[in-house]
Amino acid sequence: MKKQSNDFYSGSSGPSKWISEYLFKKIIIFSSIFLLCLSAEAQNKTHVTGIVKDDKGNPASNVSVTVKGTKTGVVTDANGAFSIDAPNQKSILVISNTGFQPQEAIVGNRTNFNFDLVIAAGNLNEVVVVGYGTQKKVTLTGAVAVVKGSDLAKSPATNLSNSIAGRLPGVVAVNASGEPGYDGSTIRIRGSNTLGNNDALIVIDGVPAREGGLDRLNPMDIESMSVLKDASGAIYGARAANGVILITTKRGRSGKPELSYSHNSGWAAPTVIPKMTNAVEYATMANEIEIYKLPPAEWAAASAAFKSTGTYTTAGNSVITAPFLPDDFKKFADGSDKWGHPNTDWFGTVLKKWSPQSKDNLQLVGGSENVKYLASLGYQNQDGYYKNSATGYKQYDMRINMDAKVNKYVNFGLGIVARQENRFYPTKDAGSIFRMLMRGYPTKNAIWPNGQAAPDIENGEQPVVITTNQTGYDKDTRYYYQTNAKLEISNPWIKGLKFTLNASLDKYLQQTKRWVKPWYIYNWNNDIANPLTTAVAKGPTTQPTLNQGASDKLNIMLEAIGSYEHSFGNHNITVLAGVTKETFKGSYFNAFRQYFPSAAIEQLFAGGLTNQQTGGAAFEGARLNYFGRVGYNYKEKYLAEFLWRQDGSYKFPEAHRFGFFPGVTAGWRISEENFFKDNVKFINSLKLRGSWGKLGNDNISYAGRLTDYDYLATYSYGSYTVGNQIVQTLREGPLPKNSLTWEVANNYNFGLDMTLLNNKLSVELDVFQNHRTGILWQASGAVPATGGINLPASNIGKVDNKGWEVKVGYNNAIGDLRYNVGINGGYAKNKIIFFSETPGRPAYQQSTGHVMPTNAGSDDDMLQYQYDGIFKDQKDIDANTLDYTGVGGAGKLFPGSMKFKDVNHDGKIDGLDRVRSDKNQTPSFQGGLTIGLQYKAFDLNVLFQAATGAELFIQTETGTIGNFLQDTYDHRWTLDNPSSVYPRTVDRNNQYFSNRNTFYTVSTNYVRLKNFEVGYTLPSRLGKKLGISRFRVYVNGLNMATWSKQKIYDPEAQSSDGHYYPQSKIINTGVNLTF
Amino acid sequence: MKKILKTILIPLCAVILVTSCNKDFLNTQPLNVAAAGATWSDASLSEMFVTEIYNGVGEGYLQQNSLDNQTDNCLFNFGRQSIMEGNISPDNPGDRLGTMEWGNMYNRIRATNLALQNLATAPFAAAIVDGLKGEVYFQRAYYHNQLLRYYGGIPIIKFAYGLDQDYNIPRSTYEESVKAIVSDLDSSVLLLDGKSLPQGRASKAAAMALKSRVLTYAASDLHDIPTAKQNSTLIAGFANPELLGYVSGDRNARWVAAKAASKAVIDLGQFGYNLGLTAPQSKADAMSDYIKLSLSRNGGEKDAIFGKYYINAATDDWGAWYPRNNMPNGYHGWSSTEPTQNFVDNYEMMDGSKFDWNNPVQAAAPYENRDPRFYASVFYDGGAWKPRTTDGATFDPYGELQFGTYQTGTGGGTTVAYAGLDTRNSNIENWNGTRTGYVIKKFMDPNPAIVDMNQKQEVPTIVVRYTEVIFNYIEACLQTGDEATAKSWLNQIRFRAGMPAITASGSALVNEYRNERNVEMFAEDQRFFDARRWMIAPSVFGQKVRIMVITGSLKPGKTVTSYRYSKDNYNYNYHVQEIEQGVENRSWNDKVYFPPFYRDEISRNSKLIQNPGY
Repeated sequence: MKKQSNDFYSGSSGPSKWISEYLFKKIIIFSSIFLLCLSAEAQNKTHVTGIVKDDKGNPASNVSVTVKGTKTGVVTDANGAFSIDAPNQKSILVISNTGFQPQEAIVGNRTNFNFDLVIAAGNLNEVVVVGYGTQKKVTLTGAVAVVKGSDLAKSPATNLSNSIAGRLPGVVAVNASGEPGYDGSTIRIRGSNTLGNNDALIVIDGVPAREGGLDRLNPMDIESMSVLKDASGAIYGARAANGVILITTKRGRSGKPELSYSHNSGWAAPTVIPKMTNAVEYATMANEIEIYKLPPAEWAAASAAFKSTGTYTTAGNSVITAPFLPDDFKKFADGSDKWGHPNTDWFGTVLKKWSPQSKDNLQLVGGSENVKYLASLGYQNQDGYYKNSATGYKQYDMRINMDAKVNKYVNFGLGIVARQENRFYPTKDAGSIFRMLMRGYPTKNAIWPNGQAAPDIENGEQPVVITTNQTGYDKDTRYYYQTNAKLEISNPWIKGLKFTLNASLDKYLQQTKRWVKPWYIYNWNNDIANPLTTAVAKGPTTQPTLNQGASDKLNIMLEAIGSYEHSFGNHNITVLAGVTKETFKGSYFNAFRQYFPSAAIEQLFAGGLTNQQTGGAAFEGARLNYFGRVGYNYKEKYLAEFLWRQDGSYKFPEAHRFGFFPGVTAGWRISEENFFKDNVKFINSLKLRGSWGKLGNDNISYAGRLTDYDYLATYSYGSYTVGNQIVQTLREGPLPKNSLTWEVANNYNFGLDMTLLNNKLSVELDVFQNHRTGILWQASGAVPATGGINLPASNIGKVDNKGWEVKVGYNNAIGDLRYNVGINGGYAKNKIIFFSETPGRPAYQQSTGHVMPTNAGSDDDMLQYQYDGIFKDQKDIDANTLDYTGVGGAGKLFPGSMKFKDVNHDGKIDGLDRVRSDKNQTPSFQGGLTIGLQYKAFDLNVLFQAATGAELFIQTETGTIGNFLQDTYDHRWTLDNPSSVYPRTVDRNNQYFSNRNTFYTVSTNYVRLKNFEVGYTLPSRLGKKLGISRFRVYVNGLNMATWSKQKIYDPEAQSSDGHYYPQSKIINTGVNLTF
Repeated sequence: MKKILKTILIPLCAVILVTSCNKDFLNTQPLNVAAAGATWSDASLSEMFVTEIYNGVGEGYLQQNSLDNQTDNCLFNFGRQSIMEGNISPDNPGDRLGTMEWGNMYNRIRATNLALQNLATAPFAAAIVDGLKGEVYFQRAYYHNQLLRYYGGIPIIKFAYGLDQDYNIPRSTYEESVKAIVSDLDSSVLLLDGKSLPQGRASKAAAMALKSRVLTYAASDLHDIPTAKQNSTLIAGFANPELLGYVSGDRNARWVAAKAASKAVIDLGQFGYNLGLTAPQSKADAMSDYIKLSLSRNGGEKDAIFGKYYINAATDDWGAWYPRNNMPNGYHGWSSTEPTQNFVDNYEMMDGSKFDWNNPVQAAAPYENRDPRFYASVFYDGGAWKPRTTDGATFDPYGELQFGTYQTGTGGGTTVAYAGLDTRNSNIENWNGTRTGYVIKKFMDPNPAIVDMNQKQEVPTIVVRYTEVIFNYIEACLQTGDEATAKSWLNQIRFRAGMPAITASGSALVNEYRNERNVEMFAEDQRFFDARRWMIAPSVFGQKVRIMVITGSLKPGKTVTSYRYSKDNYNYNYHVQEIEQGVENRSWNDKVYFPPFYRDEISRNSKLIQNPGY
């Protein structure tokens, strides 16, 4: 078999040989024809070569060299060299490169040119990717934020979404977890605009909403990322209301093939590990819990008795023994009894100091004038924080982008992506693991002195064990195969008329396999002199279980676009119109078996036949859209554009299926006016722009549930046990709602772009107002529960969102030192305008008029009692006149209890004294400060990032059930040191003041050194001797320093109780080699 | 010409290709649900809809926070019960059972109305339609009654609301509510007559037994407003007492009706396990029978009239996790429901006398010679249970419960305190340990393979059982002056439990009856309502929880290295004390007779009158 397959691939014999020869001939024939066509047009041509150098005299690669007024163009190779055919001697060569001033030269008699690039601070010729096309930045009228792929590649993050924060004004990224495979950031464009789904539309190489999103794209493959924040997204219609992120991947260029290889080795660690109490501190608080169960009058006596003898006889003649006796304290402190009285640091025992990660990338770029290609291979490997970690992420990816100029009128482009993502975990999730780390008693061993794992905390969950493969494994493998093809046909008779056909075929497969087997912890015989341990099985203590699942999806998009560009006199117009048809289908299947006779065979067939289970599901959907754009400008001075989309979606009943979404943008380049040019010298350019758009959001969901098909009356499946059998049942879902439709956004934007000081300083300002209506929400405020209805959500919610963005950049050079400094920031604050309020709610509790919660539906979490200090002593309590029975405070006003404010002044503390918070967990402001320095061969890039305006409710599982935060210990109310700020020790939130209140809610404002990179590039003279065209080494880092008031968790934490895998800081070294 | 083809026609064709196909492809279908229309024209699908409604029964008495935790019988291990502290309000209603929960019940009631509405025009066989309707009438009555017995009179809803209607609806009076429920039950009896349905579905007998419950409650003190007013100033001062009970009418007639309803179930002759004994059976037999009844197996199923069943192959029902939720922490359970000393004291001595802490012999050995049902219902110190898991077996290879603190070492010499495995100072999951010194044992499958928190059990939760009907009958007999019949039935239950006959009469007999009902139907969601309708709740629910503290001291000269219960080696001290008020500070307030409606519900339904005291 093996030989045969070799033959097949080598094509050396048999039918395969015939095929390859036949194909070869065909290719020769076709190629010859094309060559003939080309040569026919090559008369009168002048062949020109040259070298382009950057401002430091080094060869500049990737610089565009074009012949003005034609489509002829090449880019320079790694040596800065180019070679191009000019049509005649009057031809003008144009040299342009992002960040540099363009230069022109008449060909004349010369055949060799050398150019030295000059920095252009204002990036005047920058081209920006917008929906279905590109636009010159100077004439851009929408609010579009842009970041280059090369900037994103400076971050060592393995997840692209983590490289965005602080780079794009108006884009908020919050990273809630560092767990390999699930470490992405939640991205919000201009904050949140709806109670429903706030996810932006992500368009990759022209294809919207591709499976897998942007998280796992290889940053080395990315050319640029554009974010359409306003009406400029209207061309994406019903999916654009939350903003649109356009990602363009790199493509080939003509020139000598260039092969580059890069390797990154990084080390990740948690940014913050919660500080917990040590054994003595914990024991102290555990004793306090017992004491505080007594009437306060006995506290002092009980405390003294616990400290001296460890037992206390109550006034009622009951004997109470301290959980920890004086002798225990002595042993915890002196460490004399490692078996019975340890002082365990659970986080330190279970987590490594640094966890390795690596990235390798191989990229080939090249091509001729007619065929250009880019091929890229990537590999990533990311380890978990745990010692002997079973957690990790691996990725293999490949991308091929090819462009062929078939003839003068026909271009063909093809993109192929293949990616495999391997996620692997232990059988207990990170939430359980970190829950147990938070709960782990410092007074108990994690590992016995003999090296064996000590008992679990609960449910077999012993972090030392369940972080490893000893419990089995949980694998999740995802495969992506994405292709897109593009055929561009220019019309030879009508200049400027072009047809484009796009097709994309995205296949997604997922395989999950969860194998759970018994694991072991060890019990100690409680004998210090003669310690023995016994193994105890945990988990499915008898036999392993296996759960396996597979899902697949196929998304197909077909698109046809016609476009026309024309200039007459000073009038320039562009027209574009297109149609897109999208279909998607998917299904899911899973199977479960248990009673595996042995842990040796981890395959389904080997499991027991009894109680095996299977399940499955499927879905399908379709969209049909028409869209277009008309642009007009006069002398590139007065600019206007109209965008539209007519969207049709399967989610809505036939009569309401299509919606129309228009947008208008306009601009005025004041600096092109003579009165301005003549009078204002220090401003090089100034543009005012404005936009309005009506955009839609058809990703409609309510309470986390997608509302697809809610216009149909359907019953969902359930089960019940009848006559010793499980039977299927049917349950009514939400009542059908015929008028269900999309959310509508009316978004207004006003902006200003300006460059000053010889284009060295650039300023962009934007202010916006977004009005979202038709948000899906239940009108539950009006329907009592007696209605019995599972209320459908209807398009009733309204939210307003207002804010601003700013971006300032300054570029300059002092001698050999080139530097740039940039500041960007965006602020967005939303307000609920209509919400189905429960009648009778006081204004300060209503959702209306206040900010949305981070997770819609957790609305009541926004209501909190107003903390008002502590009852410091009995005198304080005696002075109290408020009635606390309404919060369960009857008979529980003791020294160290919290005071709440009587908000409605009725003398009673109850539910009506809760006030709705005006902050949520999403920052209202996020910004960045970038600094770039380049000195000879060295370069330094730094990104500081800040976020403000968010808060987090922090409350941990503590007391008899788990450890306390160090912060709680340090500041708590005690008999000896009665705090007027922190309450006394409580057990498991069992006090009325454990209810959500402002004491536990803390600001999460922060500033962090998000990203830095220091690099050294080997001068090209040296490189050449070694046969290397470019060699660079660098060190970069992520989240290496943080300044925050909230010091318990990472400031980006979204978890109240710390049961989550903390965010990462990463330090990384890399090398980049180009041949 | 060729160029024209290439440049114009191809793109044009392509555009046509993409757009020309009609828009039918947008009419995709949901693939994971059934269309409502199709359901009601198909008998099997209709049956599936009706079957789903039973899920509203929830986990019955097998749910983790059993309703007996809101009575003097038990204490919940995880969080104070505000209702027991007299401390509930429209904002802070405390823990409520899913199967009494307002919105949940009305959602199920809606489903019954929807079913009746659609079954009226069902195109399939009338016999099938009638059977389904019979079940649905039962369901509608059951869910309405769940609310009625909790809140008092409630809106009785016999139609399915649509969207955008006027949803304001007043409470029916207590009397109207009872009438409506009984009327549904009578319909159910008619329609289900002669039908034999599998376990888990309602039957004619279930409807009849539920009627016995509804009418027994209706005749009770709490719902006879003249009586209730005498016992409670809060009720006396309430402007709408008709919502809470009968403001007028012949109370005796209500008892007669209740008696007849109960008698009708008895006369079916279908139910009852080992009744009809004429003398107490042995302790062993009595225990064994009591366990059979509580597990509904080996004959005990003859007592079950309607319930929810669990099988291991089923989806993850919480009630099937009863062993994990309720075994002691030394067995890796959560000890969720802890019998109080208040309750344990209710178990009589085997000779029928009351247990007495002032009797030194009884006080020194409180777990000896007690009612056999004690041993079958409660885990107590020294009692035997299953072999422990390996970790527990290191300390206790015998499978005996350890709820105390014991000396190890040598009596009179060096001793070390050893905290029992099932206490809050245990080596195993001590935060789940009991606070009262007891853990519930009733309903627990004794199969030794169900050993820790990883195994489910297949014990059903019986929400309507024959024993209750017997008790209802006894109560009605007592109230209508037929002591002889009452005593005869009461003693049949006692003989089955191994206890001697009751000879008392008058109010002493009523007290004996009440204690017997509570002991026999311990933890079956009865006490919550019984203590209320008898209006004894202020005295019994208002008491502080009493707990048991056990210490074992080595007898002089005895040496023990690894603890085991032994009267030879140890002197045991049984000390009863009140629980720390920080855990649960019980106190009665008359307003908790009828729990409050949520504030939001009152705001949404302007016609809903709040219960008194809120």
